[in-house]
Amino acid sequence: MSATPARTDVSRLGRRPTPWRRLRNRSLLYVALILYLIVACFPIYYMLMSTLKADYDLIDPSVNPFWFKRPLGLEHFQYLFSQTNFPIWGLNTVVVAACVLGITLAICIPGGYALARLRVPGAQHLAVGIFLTYLIPPILLFIPLNQLVANLFNLENSRWALVLVYPTFTIPFCLWLMMGFFKRVPKEIEDAALVDGCNRWQAVRRIVLPVSVPGIVTAGIFAFTLAMQDFLYALVMVSSSDQKVINTGVPTELIRGDVYFWGELLAAALLPGILIAFVYNFFLDYFVQGITGGIGK
Amino acid sequence: MAQFSIEPAVVAERVPRARRFRVPGEALAGYALVSPAVLYILVLVAYPFFLALYLSLSNVTVAGGFGGFVGIANYLRIIHDPTFIKGLENSLSFTFFAEVGKSVLGIGLAFLLLQSLRGKKLIRGLLMVPFTMPLPLALLGWKWMYDPQFSVINRVFGDMLHLMHQPYPVWLGDPVFSWFAILIVNIWRGFPFAAVIVLAGLTSIPKDILDAAKVDGAGFFRTWHFVIVPLIAPILFIGLIYDVTFTLSDITIVDVLTQGGPNGATETLPMLAYQNGIIGGNLSSGAADALILFPLLFAGLVFFLRMLFRRTVEE
Repeated sequence: MSATPARTDVSRLGRRPTPWRRLRNRSLLYVALILYLIVACFPIYYMLMSTLKADYDLIDPSVNPFWFKRPLGLEHFQYLFSQTNFPIWGLNTVVVAACVLGITLAICIPGGYALARLRVPGAQHLAVGIFLTYLIPPILLFIPLNQLVANLFNLENSRWALVLVYPTFTIPFCLWLMMGFFKRVPKEIEDAALVDGCNRWQAVRRIVLPVSVPGIVTAGIFAFTLAMQDFLYALVMVSSSDQKVINTGVPTELIRGDVYFWGELLAAALLPGILIAFVYNFFLDYFVQGITGGIGK
Repeated sequence: MAQFSIEPAVVAERVPRARRFRVPGEALAGYALVSPAVLYILVLVAYPFFLALYLSLSNVTVAGGFGGFVGIANYLRIIHDPTFIKGLENSLSFTFFAEVGKSVLGIGLAFLLLQSLRGKKLIRGLLMVPFTMPLPLALLGWKWMYDPQFSVINRVFGDMLHLMHQPYPVWLGDPVFSWFAILIVNIWRGFPFAAVIVLAGLTSIPKDILDAAKVDGAGFFRTWHFVIVPLIAPILFIGLIYDVTFTLSDITIVDVLTQGGPNGATETLPMLAYQNGIIGGNLSSGAADALILFPLLFAGLVFFLRMLFRRTVEE
C-alpha cells in the first residue's frame, strides 16, 4: 500500500505515521468503513433475504433473520409479475420517465446553449433564477398544481399528468447542467467553423452538439432517474391502479389492509429500487456539482 | 481583415466578439431558445405558487367551491390548532436532529472516503444506496424492519444481543418510538448525501494551503477548524440548505411509515397539508399548512442566491 500515494493532502494531515501507527490507522479505517457499510446496506440485504425466503421462514422464530431454513426461491417475483399490476406500473414508470427525459432535453439543450454562448442580456440572472426554482419543494405547489392539472390541462387521474409536472424539477437542474457543459466546449472550435463559412446553426449542429453528446446523455439519464424519485405528485395526481407508477403503486396497493404480503412487497420494492440506485450512482457527482453550482469542482 | 495576420489564439478571441456585435438578432434568438424553459417555470411553478398563496388567503374547498377571500384567517385558525402545533414541532425537530445526525455521520464518512482504498468505487457505490434508491421503495424495507411482531431490530438487539428486554418496542405504534423510527430513516437516507457534499468540499481545497498549515505546526483539529471549515463553508452551507429544504418538506417517510400516527405523534406539516388539502378536500387549509413553511425555506433561498452570485461574480 505504501506505493500508492494518498489521493489528496487532507488525508495526510497530522503527524507522520510510524509503522505501528499506520497499521492501527488502517485497521480502524476498515472497521469504521465496515460499520458504515452495515448501516447503509443492511436494509437492502434484509429486503433481499426476505423476498427470497419461503413465506413461513419470515415468521418462524427459530429461523435466523439473516439466513434461511427452507429453500430460497423466486416465487415472490413470479407472483409479482403474474398476479399483480406491477408490470403495468413498471411500464407506466418507464413511459413517464422517458417522456420527461424527452421534454427536458428538448427544452434544455437549446436553452442551455443560448445561456452559455449567445449574447443574451441578463443571461446569468435568468440562469440563476431558473435554477433556484429547484429549491421550491413540491409540497408548496402540489395543491394548486393538482387543481391546474385536472381543470386546465384535463389530465385528472392520468399518468400524463406526471409527464407534465415532472419537468418542473428536471428542467432547472438539467438546464444548469447543459449550460455548464456548453461552457466547457472550447469556443475556438465553434469559431473555427464560423470562420470556415458555416452559419451559426451549422456550427452548432455539426461541431458543438457532437462534442456535447456526453453532456446530453448525462442530463438525459439524470432527468430519467430524477423522475423516478418523486412520490408526492404521483400520490396526489394519480389514483387509478392502471395509471400508477411504481413509487406509488407498490406502497399503496400491495399493502392490502392490515395483511402484508411481505415477500411480494419487498420484491416489488427491491427490483426497481436497486436498478435505479445503480444508474443514479454514476451520476451522483453531477448531481452534487449541479446543487453546489459547481463550487466543488 | 487585419485579424488574419494575428496568431490563431488571438483570432479566436476576437472574431466572435466582432461577429456578435454585427448580429442584432442574437439576443432575440437567445431569448427565443430559453423561452420554453421560462414558460414552463412560469406556468407550472410560479403560477401555482401564487395560486397557493391565494388559496391560503381565501376559503376554497373541493366540494363547496370558492367561499370568499378571508385574509389571514386560515393562518390564524391553524396556529390555534393543537394538531398543527404538533406538526410544526415535529417538522422542526425532525429536521434539526436529522441534520445533526447526517452531518456527524457524513463528515466522518467523508474523511474515510478520502483515504486511499482498494475497491473504492464499489464501496462508495454501496454506501450511496440509501440516497440513490427511490425513497418510497426503500421505506418498504424499513416498514418490514419495524414490523410490530417480526421486527428484525428487536430480534437482533433483543433475542440475539440481549440489549433490549421484553416487552419489545412496537416501533411504529408507540408515540416515542415512532418518532425515533422516523428520525432514524431520515438520517439513514441523508447521510451519504452529506458525505459526498463534504467530500466535494475537501477535495477542492488547494494543496499548498494545507501544506502551509502543516508547516505552521497546526494539528488536525486546528487545521479542520481554522483552515478547512472556512474554506469549504460555502459548499457546506449550500448542501445544508438543499438538504434542509427537502427534509422539511418531505412527506414520503411519514406517509409510508405512520401516516402521522399513532395519534398524531409523528404528524408533520407536509403530512397535514396532504391530509387537509387532498384527503379532506379543504384546499385552503392545506395550502396554509404548507405555505407556513415558506418563510423558513425563503431564508434558505436568499442565502443560496447570495452564495451563488458571489461565486459567479468572482468568475
